[in-house]
Amino acid sequence: MSVEEFQPRIIGFLCNWCSYAGADMAGTSRMTYPSNVRIIRLPCSGRVNPMIIFKAFQQGADGVMVSGCHPGDCHYVDGNYYARRRLAMLEPFLEYLGIEKGRFQLEWVSASEGKKWSQVVARFTDTVKSLGPRGKI
Amino acid sequence: MPRVGVFLCHCGTNIAGVVDIPTVAEAVKQFPGVVYVDDNKFSCSEPGQAAIRQSIIDNGLDRVVISACSPRMHEITFRKAVSAAGLNPYLMEIANIREHCSWVHSDNKEAATEKAIELVKMAVAKVSLHQELFRKRISMEKKALVIGGGIAGIQAALDIANAGHQVILVEREPTIGGRMAQLDKTFPTLDCSACILSPKMVDVSQHPNIRLLTYSEVEKVQGFVGNFEVEIRQRARYVNHTTCTGCGICWQKCPEKVPGEFEEGTGQRTSVYIPFPQAVPSKPVIDTVSCRYFKYLDFIDKKMEGKKPPPCRICEKLCPPQAIDWEQKDEIIRETVGAIVVATGFKTFDHSVYGEYGGGRIPDVITSLQLERLMNASGPTLGEVVRPSDGTHPKTVVFLSCVGSRDEAKGRPYCSKICCMYMAKQALMLKEHDPGVQSYIFYIDIRAGGKDFEEFTRRAQEEFGVLYLRGRVSKIYQDDKKLMVCGEDSLIGRPVEIAADMVVLATGVEPSEGAAKVAQTLNISYDTYGFMVEAHPKLRPVETNTDGILVAGACVGPRDIPDSVAHGGAAAAKVIGLLSQDTLTTEPLTAAIDASRCTGCLLCSQICPFQAIDMVPANGKSIAVVNEGLCKGCGLCVAACRSTAPSLKGYTDAQILSEVLALCP
Amino acid sequence: MDDKITLAVREKAKELLEQKVVDCFIGYEKATDNLTSRPLFVYKPEQAERLVFDNTCVHNLSKYLLNKKDTKTAVVAKPCDARAIVVLLNENQVQREKIYIIGIVCPGVVDSRWGSAGTEPEVRCQGCPQHTPPLYDFLIGEPTDEVEQDAYTDVTAMEEMGDADREAFWKEQFQRCIRCYACRNVCPGCYCPVCFVDLKEPLWAGIRVAPGENWMWNNIRAFHLLGRCIDCNGCQRVCPVNIPLMLLNRKLKKEVAQAFAFIPGMDPKALAPLATFKKEELAEPSK
Repeated sequence: MSVEEFQPRIIGFLCNWCSYAGADMAGTSRMTYPSNVRIIRLPCSGRVNPMIIFKAFQQGADGVMVSGCHPGDCHYVDGNYYARRRLAMLEPFLEYLGIEKGRFQLEWVSASEGKKWSQVVARFTDTVKSLGPRGKI
Repeated sequence: MPRVGVFLCHCGTNIAGVVDIPTVAEAVKQFPGVVYVDDNKFSCSEPGQAAIRQSIIDNGLDRVVISACSPRMHEITFRKAVSAAGLNPYLMEIANIREHCSWVHSDNKEAATEKAIELVKMAVAKVSLHQELFRKRISMEKKALVIGGGIAGIQAALDIANAGHQVILVEREPTIGGRMAQLDKTFPTLDCSACILSPKMVDVSQHPNIRLLTYSEVEKVQGFVGNFEVEIRQRARYVNHTTCTGCGICWQKCPEKVPGEFEEGTGQRTSVYIPFPQAVPSKPVIDTVSCRYFKYLDFIDKKMEGKKPPPCRICEKLCPPQAIDWEQKDEIIRETVGAIVVATGFKTFDHSVYGEYGGGRIPDVITSLQLERLMNASGPTLGEVVRPSDGTHPKTVVFLSCVGSRDEAKGRPYCSKICCMYMAKQALMLKEHDPGVQSYIFYIDIRAGGKDFEEFTRRAQEEFGVLYLRGRVSKIYQDDKKLMVCGEDSLIGRPVEIAADMVVLATGVEPSEGAAKVAQTLNISYDTYGFMVEAHPKLRPVETNTDGILVAGACVGPRDIPDSVAHGGAAAAKVIGLLSQDTLTTEPLTAAIDASRCTGCLLCSQICPFQAIDMVPANGKSIAVVNEGLCKGCGLCVAACRSTAPSLKGYTDAQILSEVLALCP
Repeated sequence: MDDKITLAVREKAKELLEQKVVDCFIGYEKATDNLTSRPLFVYKPEQAERLVFDNTCVHNLSKYLLNKKDTKTAVVAKPCDARAIVVLLNENQVQREKIYIIGIVCPGVVDSRWGSAGTEPEVRCQGCPQHTPPLYDFLIGEPTDEVEQDAYTDVTAMEEMGDADREAFWKEQFQRCIRCYACRNVCPGCYCPVCFVDLKEPLWAGIRVAPGENWMWNNIRAFHLLGRCIDCNGCQRVCPVNIPLMLLNRKLKKEVAQAFAFIPGMDPKALAPLATFKKEELAEPSK
């Protein structure tokens, strides 16, 4: 890692039952992936209040990811379906505010998809890296 | 300012081999609120936990961060450790620096160390906002409700009652027994169904712990596990069951005869009746639709024109204990129960939609359940299999499989599971009844997965000469006294036509009438067909998404008797597990709604997956209130609410924001 | 000036108050500049003569219903105002039996400000897709067949800008915000007892008038109107520093319309788009 290379600051909001466990799985399987994502553990992707995402971007996060159980697999029956609607509206709105497409991402990662988690992080980190630093508003 | 202690676990070399623990420790000391930092080779080990306990006490810590493995691994362990030091167990937060850091960033120790520092920083920020949380104890009403008195419900009720708990068994029909009571023999052992079922029915009626409510339906259910408030409507029977001795004079003398439901229309019953001789309770009910006296009353009431029906009342005149009570009313029974088993069973597919099979208009095209009644020694023909049209003995019988199963066009794509086996059984039994009978079975596949099932279908073919033809039947039509069955034998690729005396349709399994309504009353989910949905198809097959509500038997999907019994027993085991506790402790990580901020807009109550939010009147508007017994702590309400009235304990907005701000100051 | 509507409003108000169908009638009267209009609360039949309706009646009167929850109240509603009432009904904020809606088949209003009646049609009226209120108890005017579709040309123009230009655009707009909350006060959808922006714990947006705080306020305000904004232009009209707030609201309106075929304020029985979902929708997350 060169000293000059831009290291984006990425926040990941993960549901406890699927994606957080999937990220654990990546760990138990010793998969390596970029270290930029900091995970905030939540019970459900449906717990993600868009206000928190606004706040993260306002505070200068370079990227924000929300990851939950695959549709149909929610531990709380329907939580991710509501999350999907809400965040599907947030994404174009953020873009409309000038926050480039790719800085916000909604993903579905199951508890068994450690591999997918590592790939999702690698891809997302790459994307955010290519978009460059954002800074605080 | 909280006094936060941070404990950095090395996890041997799992963490310390990648993350530079001394560097982390140095950085962590600077975080606001941190007054104590320690590291340990294995925090989860007994010495590790002892060190944490001791440090909490020695340093007067009131918040703890454990920087170790995933909270999914050891959150409970460390909560206990913290609790042992006299601290509220919810004043602890775990920073996952193993699964989410050292194990996945072993290629870059510097970055891993930097990340570990930030993960601890987030945990410190969050833990500072933790509040003491307490598990609530809710009382457990040591009584269970079983809905449905078929074999699954009977098994569940008996198992729960035998474990020493009170059971209320609610059955819609005038008797328990369900579908199994209608059957003649059971595959593959050919046990007489009544012989193995009746003793269980009697056990139910005589069990000191079981309160049997037949002719009853559950109308309302409120509350949550441990304390369900249930309202049951017991329909008026017009017979006083306390004084009735079940002598049978009334139903022997009643002059009104109607097709019997229990006989599937193959036989008749009277207006005052018990569905079948072994019925439990063996006391009759009066069917107000067909009873002559009720018709008479109706005629007078509605001032109808024409011939006045006779005010019969023969049963009343003949009843020795004078148990007939025309004034009886529906009774509402209120009970509190700790757990509920739903075992509402199934009904068979209505084949009238199959025009090609006569649409129900050809008398000698009967259903498999009708054949069961005809074969049954206590059935309308006393076990003689005869044609409904002319009472002659059929010699050629054709069975059609998958009528209302595996048929996308009829909206029933699923396999009903039991039909292959009962067809083999019925064909075999026909031969036993009359060696002159030749049976043909049109099948798609022979699904005989089960103990001794394959052997059984083979026996039907090899020993009893049942002929299996692979293919669908395209048409059945009446030709004088014969039924012409036209189909194709797809194995030889030729059309076949059989002149049959009787055709038996293997009608599929679907949820019983009103199953969806029961599900709605209980707020549990059901699928597009109306089958109840289990909490997990593999791992939680008898649970639902509502704690304390279990499902058993064919209300969940097509099931045979052994499966239904097993599931009834499994549901009972879950209930016994619940009822054996004096109180239940609830997870405190639930939502709470600040009434002063609630606008009463209904959004949270509309989206709560557990119907845990009630709207209650307050100050002239309605306010959302969380039922903690039902809340599972998903936080959907928190994220949905614009006025930030709900908050989720352990995951408040302030806590999540503190993590964000720790990362992006 | 449409005297016919004015006369009809007066006549209806008089009748409703005389027959005690309602206790209060909310409409418009001429403002003291004698050019523009202002809201008028009428309690006595004889006061009905003060009522007017013309193309300067820009206000959305539906918000006043929130203060009249226990009083049987009639309100004059243009189609956009009636949509707001529908949203309030959806959200259980007013009771249908307590309100009496005088729907106006709306000819459109003009961009009038104090001291100037204005001549230009207001921005919301240009290409207005709905001239007949979706809900009313009494209608003034002949119902129209609605044909026009919202083209969202304003939103599309924004979308066609580059990300950097858009970010700069909003930065420029939001930096003017003086956080007077007039937008909030006028909006029928903003009725929370405590607004997120006024919270100290957690602090979503500080009280400072600063870029970050302004950004948080304006965006979350708009996002809270997702699936709820009925396009009445109230917020933008009252903004003292002319921030084009409707560009934010309408972007979300467009997204909701496209993704869920939902237009707020059309059906009193509708479930809000965020209160429901379909399993088979939005199949690929954010790709």
